[in-house]
Amino acid sequence: MQLLRPESVEAAAAALGNGTVALAGGTELVPLLRSRIVEADTLVELRDVVPRGIRGTTIGAGTTLAELEVDPQVPQALREACALAASPQLRSMGTIGGNLLQATRCWYWRLRYPCFLHGGSVCHARQGAHREHAIFGNERCASAHPSDPAAALLALGATLRTTRRELPVAQLYRLPTEDDRGTTVLEPDELILELEVPQAEASTYLKAMDRARFSFALVGVAAARLGEGTRLALAGAAPIPWLLGSPDELEGATPLPGTAYKVDLARPLIRRALAAVA
Amino acid sequence: MLELHVNGGLHALVEPPVGRTLAETLRDDLGLTGTKVACGEGHCGACTVQLDGVPVLSCITLVHTVGEREVTTIEGLRDHPLVDAFVRADALQCGFCTPGQIVSAAALVAAEPEPTPERVRHAMAGNLCRCGAYPRIEEAISTWRG
Amino acid sequence: MARLIRTEKEVEGRYTEQWVVVEGDDALDRWPQGPGAVVGRPAARLEGHQRARGEARFTADLQLPGMLHAAVLRSPHARARVRRIDLSRALDLPGVLGAIGPGDCHVLQEEPGFHGAPIAAVAAESYARAREALALVELELEELEPLLDPEEAVRRESFIDGEPRRYERGDVDAGFSEADVVVEAEYRTQTVLHNSMETHQSVCRWEGDTLEIYTSTQFIWGIRDSVSSQLGLPPDRVRVVCEYMGGGFGSKNSPGDYTYIAITLAGKTGRPVRCALTRREENLAAGNRNATIQRLRAGARSDGTLVALEGEYVNAVGAAGWSGPTYGPMEMLYACDNVRTLTYGAKLNLPPNAAFRAPGFVEGTFGLECVLDELAARLELDPLELRRRNHADKDLVDGRPFSSKKLLECYRRAEPHWARRDEVRARSEGPVRRGTGLASQIWYGGGGPPSYAWVRVGSDGRATVITAMQDIGTGTRTAMAQIAAEELGLPLDRVRCELGDSARGPYASISAGSSTTPSMGPAVRAAAADAARQIVEIAAQRYHVEERVLSLKDGRVVSADGGSWPLEEVTGLLEDAQILGKGARGPNPTGMRVLTFGIQVADVAVDVETGEVRVERIAAIHDVGRVINPLGAKSQVEGGIIQGIGHTLSEERLVDLERGTVLTQTLDAYKLPTIADVPEIAVELLDIPDEHLTNLGSKGLGEPPIVPTAAAIVNAIRDATGADVRSLPVSREEMLRALAEAREREKLAAAPA
Repeated sequence: MQLLRPESVEAAAAALGNGTVALAGGTELVPLLRSRIVEADTLVELRDVVPRGIRGTTIGAGTTLAELEVDPQVPQALREACALAASPQLRSMGTIGGNLLQATRCWYWRLRYPCFLHGGSVCHARQGAHREHAIFGNERCASAHPSDPAAALLALGATLRTTRRELPVAQLYRLPTEDDRGTTVLEPDELILELEVPQAEASTYLKAMDRARFSFALVGVAAARLGEGTRLALAGAAPIPWLLGSPDELEGATPLPGTAYKVDLARPLIRRALAAVA
Repeated sequence: MLELHVNGGLHALVEPPVGRTLAETLRDDLGLTGTKVACGEGHCGACTVQLDGVPVLSCITLVHTVGEREVTTIEGLRDHPLVDAFVRADALQCGFCTPGQIVSAAALVAAEPEPTPERVRHAMAGNLCRCGAYPRIEEAISTWRG
Repeated sequence: MARLIRTEKEVEGRYTEQWVVVEGDDALDRWPQGPGAVVGRPAARLEGHQRARGEARFTADLQLPGMLHAAVLRSPHARARVRRIDLSRALDLPGVLGAIGPGDCHVLQEEPGFHGAPIAAVAAESYARAREALALVELELEELEPLLDPEEAVRRESFIDGEPRRYERGDVDAGFSEADVVVEAEYRTQTVLHNSMETHQSVCRWEGDTLEIYTSTQFIWGIRDSVSSQLGLPPDRVRVVCEYMGGGFGSKNSPGDYTYIAITLAGKTGRPVRCALTRREENLAAGNRNATIQRLRAGARSDGTLVALEGEYVNAVGAAGWSGPTYGPMEMLYACDNVRTLTYGAKLNLPPNAAFRAPGFVEGTFGLECVLDELAARLELDPLELRRRNHADKDLVDGRPFSSKKLLECYRRAEPHWARRDEVRARSEGPVRRGTGLASQIWYGGGGPPSYAWVRVGSDGRATVITAMQDIGTGTRTAMAQIAAEELGLPLDRVRCELGDSARGPYASISAGSSTTPSMGPAVRAAAADAARQIVEIAAQRYHVEERVLSLKDGRVVSADGGSWPLEEVTGLLEDAQILGKGARGPNPTGMRVLTFGIQVADVAVDVETGEVRVERIAAIHDVGRVINPLGAKSQVEGGIIQGIGHTLSEERLVDLERGTVLTQTLDAYKLPTIADVPEIAVELLDIPDEHLTNLGSKGLGEPPIVPTAAAIVNAIRDATGADVRSLPVSREEMLRALAEAREREKLAAAPA
């Protein structure tokens, strides 16, 4: 394996693909490399080229969760989501860009079962152990997306600037399909550079987890009031961060036997989140 | 050659393979075995070191990405008052997680000399202790200046 | 004179008869109750700085010249048969020096019976290279149908210890027919893992005809005995070293597969070999507290007198291991004349269990103490009063008296904590309901012989305790030094304790079953007393005074006549020589039952909408005899309770129910408590020496604190919400289920008949 330290974002992007992968905070990629879920011959270090820092509503993709957690310019939902994510060390290492692109914690996927998400034909979790899994969008793959900040950014209606385009966070994600088992629309050589996060009138992030800190969301609920409307998004509820058009949409969830409780858990969290931003 | 700034000194390493972690380098190449590896994938905090004063996990930090940043390990904090505070408060049992606890705590008290219990819990939540020394750790951090 | 004694030995509730040799006098005058000059006073751990500064050398830190690293190929299936295995391509990889498979080492299995069972191993110049080599092992496995369901195992009579265990006293059926109230419930506990921070590991090398084993263990001498008998070596040719170890909690009592793999590969390669489990292997193949199913029935008269108890226990043991005493609390805790238990040890294609901090009693106490509260509710009796009314004044299993039992005093001291419950409930607000629960504790902890120690006093007047025991993090090194300091009249900073090496000290006890302090402490005191006697004899001759007027105090030899001399003035006469005292642990009191007791009171807050349970406070009151080091003891209690909170709320090993493969292999999936999960913990130790037990009156403390925690929390949850939680962990789904069930029940009760 070799490591490249490109001079520019353009050079970094140009190097990607064909066994060359981007390395930012490393909190996700390094464990995946070591457990051989990601195979790479070349790593491209992004630390010196991807924008980092917070300027008003613009956030560099290289900004760490620890930096976001404490910056008063950052909307409350995102700050809370960052503060409740992972551990202090991981938040100091992990970048917001990388966080958006993290993979599921589904144990079957992490243990390299030949599951649907890995290109296989079945979802082992649907028949197997799945208490941490999805209640929406789970027909093919029942994995749950673990990102807390992603749910906050969805609710806040954030947009991304990449090396190729601008797009709403909502359009970054897609459910894995028969033809493409990926969960984002990013091209292999596309890098997230910046986030544009609107200032909401009020926003919040509530998270239910198995311990008080340092645990992935069983359900995370982000709510943001912007102008007339209030937007809701869920973490830990679907293979991708999940935008909820209205609170009632929760009743259309398709939980598995072992995730039915997540619907009951999400209901009061949604109610509380809405009350908090009202 | 790879240069690494550790605890105020500069080390020159025979070029390690890309993929080698900072923890492996510290422990196996530099003999700094105070940094422990308990899970090897970022889930426990035993391997915590500081990079320019910021606590990070050395078991998932690739040594090639450290660059010019100053690495502070427990060996660089041996005379920190927190060490005495931990011993005084009995904030350790088996002691395997303790170096990582002290590295995290040292960064906390450098930024906030008198952290509230809430802050201690927030800042120390990434350092697991299976013996359950947590109440004593909280006490050690709140009495670290003696 | 050496005395040969036949005595009963207990480890974690398993009794055996054995011979022990006791030399010298272990029957010394008892120290008065309460703190002495050193014993009974808080002491920071002697080796605290080494541990805190990262200087303590754990097995994980050991680098021997020429050391190779082993990697182990483990079964990916719960049950399989090796059809073909070829190690040659692995051996051909540069840097690989040895490879072994089934037939080369008894732990490598041709028919692996659980996910993680070892099949083959290689040794290479680096661990990474060894892992690469594993990928080159050609292995064909025939996957076989696993047996995973414990109830099915019972139906098929797949048992781990032969026949199911049956126990009965009195007439249980008659007892139930006398009962005014009978409650019946099924309780379940999950599989939890020790997950010590230092994984299981050994470094082995041959030095001439001697095998050296550096290992993370709780029982240096047990490793020596197991390995020497397995290999057919004289025990003295096996040297076991463990100076520092990173936690065990019961899982590191025996050599494990890794030690034998390292030994075999060291033999094959002629090099030292490290075999260290990764965290993932730790979660597969390092033991666990097995799951249980408990079908319980309890009957009482309206005044609360227990008239019958019945328990059917299924221990989901795994592919190997032992069927633990889940029945223990039911048989031992209360004065109930009619008790019947039936215990199955289900043999399954799941990873073997291992002792885990009060094995069986943690699980059994959860079931029993929750059923007691269900009974109290039906009887409309105060739960503490119900326990008091059924207090056992003697051991009900065999009628023996207790060497000491201060449980009623524990109950008395629990009252102020228990009395807070109305105030705790009143602090409920909105969806957050608060409540208080309690549970009683019974467990072993008397220790026993054989255990030996030496105390060396140098001419500088400093003393060293020498014994080949281990300090697994519980602070026994410090406690032993305190005991020697007390006996020698020395300040603690003039006493050290050398341990951890079978070649450099006498036989010492296992550090399990809460036995280290009660086993080793009396031996250390006897050794110190032997040294003190010699010092007095020397001083008497030097200063021409009678021995009987001399004693050791504050680092001096003190005469009752008023004179005194610095200790080093006396020992200085020795120049480079030293005084050596020897001590042995005598037998436990004949015909008595030695047990520990206690009670915990938990306050919880339950969010009845989200199912979030927060433990807000736990008061722990335990009777463990004399306390040697109140500071270390407090840490033990807190640590046990925190592990108990993990067991109760967040920890669970999950397996795929079809394949039997372990899914929670990493510490994000297997959720140990963090600092943010810890409640306020109030610790009270009675500190009353056991009047019959040894020259110290101390019992063990490692395990008692984890025993009642789960039941106290779950009883508090019921108090707060009315919900019956009968299954651990109390995850969100279990809490929400129990809350929904309670709401349904209320609705039915409220509906017009």
